[in-house]
Amino acid sequence: MLEVRNIAFSYRTKEVLKDVSFVVSPGETVCIVGDNGVGKSTLMRVLATVLMPDGGSIRIDGKDALRNPVRYRREIGFLQEDPALYDDMTVKDYLTYRARLKGEPDKRIRRRIGEASEVCRLRALMARQIRNLSFGDKKRVALADAMLLRPRVVLLDDVLAGLDCSMREAAGEIISSVAAFSNVIVTGHEIADLAKWTTRFIVLGSGRITASISTAGMECSSVVSRVEAALKGGEA
Amino acid sequence: MSPVGVTFRRTFGMISGLYVTALSVAGFLAASAALFAFNLDMGEGGLSSLASLWALSVAPVLPVLAALAGMEVWSDELKTGRIDILLSSPVSEKDLVKGKFWGVWALTMVALSISLVSAFVFLDFYAPSFFEVSSLWGFIPAFTLLAFQSALWSAVAVAASAVFRNAAGAAATTIFILVAFPRVIWLALSHWTRGGRIVLGDFPLDAHAFDFASGLLGVGTLFSYAILTFFALFAAERVVAFRRFRGRRQRLQRFSMGLSIVLGFVLSFLAISLASRMDLSLDMSVAGSGETRFSPGTREILSRAHGSISITVFLERSDPQFRHVGHFLRSLKREADSTGGVVLEIKYVDPILDTGEALRLVRAGVEKASLVFERGERIAHVLRIADGYGERECVALIERMASPLIRSSVYWTVGHGEASFGNYAFDGLSDIARNLALDGYEHKTVNLADSASQIGSDCALLIVAGARTDFSAREIERLGAYLEGQGDSNGGGRLLVLADRALTRGMENLLSRWGILSEKIHASQFPTVSGTDVVASQFSESHPVSRPFQGYQVVLETPVAFKPSAMATEGSTGADRKKYSDILSAGKTCFAAAVERGGNGKDLAIRPTRIVAIGDVGFVLNGKLRSSANANRDFFLNAVKYLSGRDSLPASGSEASRLVTGMTRSDRASFAMASALWLPIGLFALQALLIARRRRGK
Repeated sequence: MLEVRNIAFSYRTKEVLKDVSFVVSPGETVCIVGDNGVGKSTLMRVLATVLMPDGGSIRIDGKDALRNPVRYRREIGFLQEDPALYDDMTVKDYLTYRARLKGEPDKRIRRRIGEASEVCRLRALMARQIRNLSFGDKKRVALADAMLLRPRVVLLDDVLAGLDCSMREAAGEIISSVAAFSNVIVTGHEIADLAKWTTRFIVLGSGRITASISTAGMECSSVVSRVEAALKGGEA
Repeated sequence: MSPVGVTFRRTFGMISGLYVTALSVAGFLAASAALFAFNLDMGEGGLSSLASLWALSVAPVLPVLAALAGMEVWSDELKTGRIDILLSSPVSEKDLVKGKFWGVWALTMVALSISLVSAFVFLDFYAPSFFEVSSLWGFIPAFTLLAFQSALWSAVAVAASAVFRNAAGAAATTIFILVAFPRVIWLALSHWTRGGRIVLGDFPLDAHAFDFASGLLGVGTLFSYAILTFFALFAAERVVAFRRFRGRRQRLQRFSMGLSIVLGFVLSFLAISLASRMDLSLDMSVAGSGETRFSPGTREILSRAHGSISITVFLERSDPQFRHVGHFLRSLKREADSTGGVVLEIKYVDPILDTGEALRLVRAGVEKASLVFERGERIAHVLRIADGYGERECVALIERMASPLIRSSVYWTVGHGEASFGNYAFDGLSDIARNLALDGYEHKTVNLADSASQIGSDCALLIVAGARTDFSAREIERLGAYLEGQGDSNGGGRLLVLADRALTRGMENLLSRWGILSEKIHASQFPTVSGTDVVASQFSESHPVSRPFQGYQVVLETPVAFKPSAMATEGSTGADRKKYSDILSAGKTCFAAAVERGGNGKDLAIRPTRIVAIGDVGFVLNGKLRSSANANRDFFLNAVKYLSGRDSLPASGSEASRLVTGMTRSDRASFAMASALWLPIGLFALQALLIARRRRGK
């Protein structure tokens, strides 16, 4: 279970996150939405401990991100908006390197990479050099990296950005598969696509959580309309 | 595999797969090999060891290689945004920095090893007679130092790379920090501050390379490099961690991180100060660098001597000898420090830049290119560097300065055409007389023909310095009485006879009675310098006069030879026993002999009679001492010491070996071309091919 309590963060001239608190229970796939610049990516980077918050706490099953960051990071996988990979490596080499860096024993790495490549549909690409992949393929590789060791929480920042329709479909299926063993937190603007496999929307406005909309038992279209209403500042 | 190992493998693989790295390594090999070939050419016939020439060729280029190899390790992560992926991985910043550091260091070590191996291979090929496999061991200390240096350079490159998104900026900063900044500080200290210039000698980084290559291993130096490496890695880790704290309200964290870097620097500085203060130096026996090996005699003298002695190097820094002199004196100082005896202070005075100090020395009569030995404010001795500044010379001076001054008199016979101690011309003995005066001997004359002229009871020894006219029977009788100790209750007399082409008949008879027989020889039968000189290099190991001079040469001019007479065996026991010794020979011919009577007597309180006969007076004339560097002066002084009862011996330094490669001009050109051009080009082409294949292949 991920617990986020009173997170605040401000850049030099702008207060980005103010008192952000939420809990992600096991099995949940949470989507954080909001207008551009409201702090979605900053929140994801704070959750990934790339940025330290000004205040508040983050815990995964009691493991504190600020007090014991290395143990906390073992429980997360992070995909950033623009997948930055090592172009000179093959997909297999890259995933092997990442698995090793995350501390996975050598004897289990092959199995882990097999699973991740299966879920992310990378089997055909394993021997290819990353510099030769398309943007969508690179995103799938980055996604495979994020879910490689089956972390408790997978953080996917703007995961659907830059993908065409079919690729968004495919990404949705992959994320659904990932959600089977991890909590997934995604950000994005593609509400209609996200609504298909998200269990809850968290709406961020002016650095605060303005709405939390559960999708349980709701039609996709009504979820979209409620989220869009919340984004416009209406009643959620 | 640990995160450090994983990061190391990735970093090494990444940087070795870059064209810029291939070019950097090739450039490093070319530059260091070109410098090595140049230094080898310049150092031909000099005192530098092969290892020191190699180390001094590689050391200046190594920081540039480290800067270029390490410039991308973090800046590329920053530029592409991969830093976020790394920071969200379950790895500490420390492990990431360590892994990247190992990667850069490993690459510089590979380049360093190639440079060393290529030097061996090409030398073995072009100068096979000069190069021996056994001399490889001599490179270990230099290689060790360069490994420590490259660790520091790599750590700084990694730290600079963590600051800059632009790799070129990181490389430029690293080169500035490692090459320009220390040199600017050193130049500023040594040119703008008088005190700094006088205390500082050679540029410290070059001096370290030279010292290690010559076998003088400073543990403090290695410790300092290690401390600075840890500091640079700590700073790099803080800089990487700093990226997590970009929030407005995290000024305190950012401030504390900055403060930790400053404190880390201060602590490193203190640790280095402590290390240099408690420096433990090891003196390894390195082939081809006899300069830093000191004899047990030297250690004994240095430990026995007390107080503080200042040695000023009065020499321009641009002088080719400057580095050697500085290195030698540093070695001597370390040796003195380790014995706990005399405290040596080394100063450097540039005749041009340090006008105040230089003027003081010039007014005191010191010539340029000299070593000035001072005690308190008093200049005690001046050693001209051109005359030799080795272990023997310096330690003998230190001993003289540190020993209590014993006043005694040396009597010189006059009236038979002897060379005069008051004569300052080339055929005089003023130089050697000045040495004796500094040792506390007072010069007096005695005319044996004049009964009013007496050999006083203060006579430590009597010198007959090249008598040309014969001594009368009366004079010989007086000499005999002096040697027998008549009129002197303390025992026998002491006589030093220097022949001038031949001994006079009376003197010949006297010496014969005491066991020394003289004979004329032809100089051409012996190793000769000018045709009339005889180079004698066989010193008796059992006699105190000659024992310290193994490996040295005494050059005599048309000398007289000696052999034991029948009287040498007279008196088999007790005080009457005469003991004859050949002390200096060339081949089977003896040119200096000594006789002692009563030395093994029952009554040790009786002063034994001692005679030393040396076949040539010319070997200590002013002209001879000024024109050539040999052991003439010390051999004479040691004979005087022996005769006057000051039996402490000067240090015996080993002869410094000279570098002679035996390469012809075309060999040198081929060596330079092969090591500085073809090898780097070949390696670059090979590496570029591998990189291209790797990129194209997948």
